[in-house]
Amino acid sequence: MNANKPRSATWLGALPFVFLLVGWWLLPRLVQYPAYMLPPIGDVVAFARESVMDGSLLRNVLASVARLAAGFAIGIALALPLGLAIALNRHVADTFRPVLSFLQAIAGIAWVPLTIIWFGIGNGSVIFVIANTIFFASLYNVVTGVQSIPTSLYRAVRSHGGHGWSLLVNLILPGALVQLLLGIRTSMAYGWRALVAAEMIAGSSGLGFMTMEAVQWQRTDTIILGMIVIGLIWMLMDRTVFTEIERRTVGRWGLLQR
Amino acid sequence: MSRALALPLGLSQPRTSRRFGRALKGFAGVAVLLLAWQLSVPIVGLGPYFYPAPTDVIAAFADLIRKGILPVYFADSMERYLAGLFIGALLGIAGGVLIGLNRTVALTLSPLLKFLFAIVEVAWIPIFVVWFGYGVKTIVLALVYVVFFPVLYNTLLGVRTAPQVLVNALRSLGANRLQVLRYAILPAALPGIITGLRVGAGFAFRGLVFAEIVAAKTGIGYLIFEGTQTQQTARTIVGMIVMGLTWLAIDQLYLRPLERGTVQRWGLTVDAEQRT
Repeated sequence: MNANKPRSATWLGALPFVFLLVGWWLLPRLVQYPAYMLPPIGDVVAFARESVMDGSLLRNVLASVARLAAGFAIGIALALPLGLAIALNRHVADTFRPVLSFLQAIAGIAWVPLTIIWFGIGNGSVIFVIANTIFFASLYNVVTGVQSIPTSLYRAVRSHGGHGWSLLVNLILPGALVQLLLGIRTSMAYGWRALVAAEMIAGSSGLGFMTMEAVQWQRTDTIILGMIVIGLIWMLMDRTVFTEIERRTVGRWGLLQR
Repeated sequence: MSRALALPLGLSQPRTSRRFGRALKGFAGVAVLLLAWQLSVPIVGLGPYFYPAPTDVIAAFADLIRKGILPVYFADSMERYLAGLFIGALLGIAGGVLIGLNRTVALTLSPLLKFLFAIVEVAWIPIFVVWFGYGVKTIVLALVYVVFFPVLYNTLLGVRTAPQVLVNALRSLGANRLQVLRYAILPAALPGIITGLRVGAGFAFRGLVFAEIVAAKTGIGYLIFEGTQTQQTARTIVGMIVMGLTWLAIDQLYLRPLERGTVQRWGLTVDAEQRT
């Protein structure tokens, strides 16, 4: 939606939420069902307030976000050099392509059972899975980024005497980075899912762990709070970080072909 | 060096000799990896539970085939995947057309849909487990959820690209709403639908494995999980390999040709990943 949307649009958009909340409030008053299936809305609000007050919610959020950041940094740091090597050298590309496309097909959550054996339950397993996921998502972006640099730009840099290192720093690296940034939302969409999923199976803290652990105790209020927070954090990251990155990169390098 | 750059890999049509060389190098890459893995086993020396050798994996594969476990698990996984994909795509297309054609509906539902899409399917699995227990229902529902949104958004974008001139022309020739939908709007939306399906299929495949790890007693995801639980790590790796090869087959043999036949043919490419 664009910026000059009428105010009525906001009200229209709020309608389904109001409808849902009222329905949730009314449901236990109209129908009989076991409370663990869907706790009354008041319970979830009370639990939310409690877990904000004692800091446990914030601790879990921070634990998740810190893992995401760590996995993200590792994944990108590994993807950038290998991606450049693949994009710049045909022999490297030919040799690695089958292995990498296979590993890409199993990237992410399927590694969790193995990483539990290797690193145990906790940070090691979860960060491995995120880094693994981000690595393969970014690798593709780095390669296409370099390949989508127009030939005329190479000729321009070369005709001004640029070669080797200066070609890499002034043309190839920026080209790869732009695509990397442009693809960041997709990479993170996979990374975020991998984070939540890995925490559910192999975590000892974090939003995914909090949500999954609650199943055993039938604490549906915790599950629902976890879901809402997971949704809100993704929206927040999307609105602030990714939209901003997109705006700046597309704004600055908008001439690059998409 | 610059020559390799100027040629966008994969888009060029290599001659046979070049293609052969490429296949040979690719094969060498796989072979070297497998050899390195096999040779590193005695060096690492931590036993087949921690680090099984390729030969252990082959033995586990033969065992799983002989006992008939792998074919059953594979069929179960594919059944769930296809059911989720089909229902999710159907709902996504219906929702996309409905929302795309009506501005008020779009304004009303779009914040809610954005919020629901932000609650990734992975986060729904615990509550599905509480509601429906461990089993097929939970898994298929999670897949429907993950396919629904990309298909919805891309259908929506496709519907909006339907040329108004065409719609007007059909109307003035006396076409009813259904005919306008059939002859102007759906054809325009088709590339979007396919793009959405492709994105959704990718997320759903990982979703399937995760859902099976958590909530199944059969399937490839369960095999991957069960292997380490029962100290048969080689089985886990068999599961991962089957998973990878299955996805490559789905992607290369089905999704890519489908996309080539529709999206690239009728242009109108929408960068799906950016929107979803």
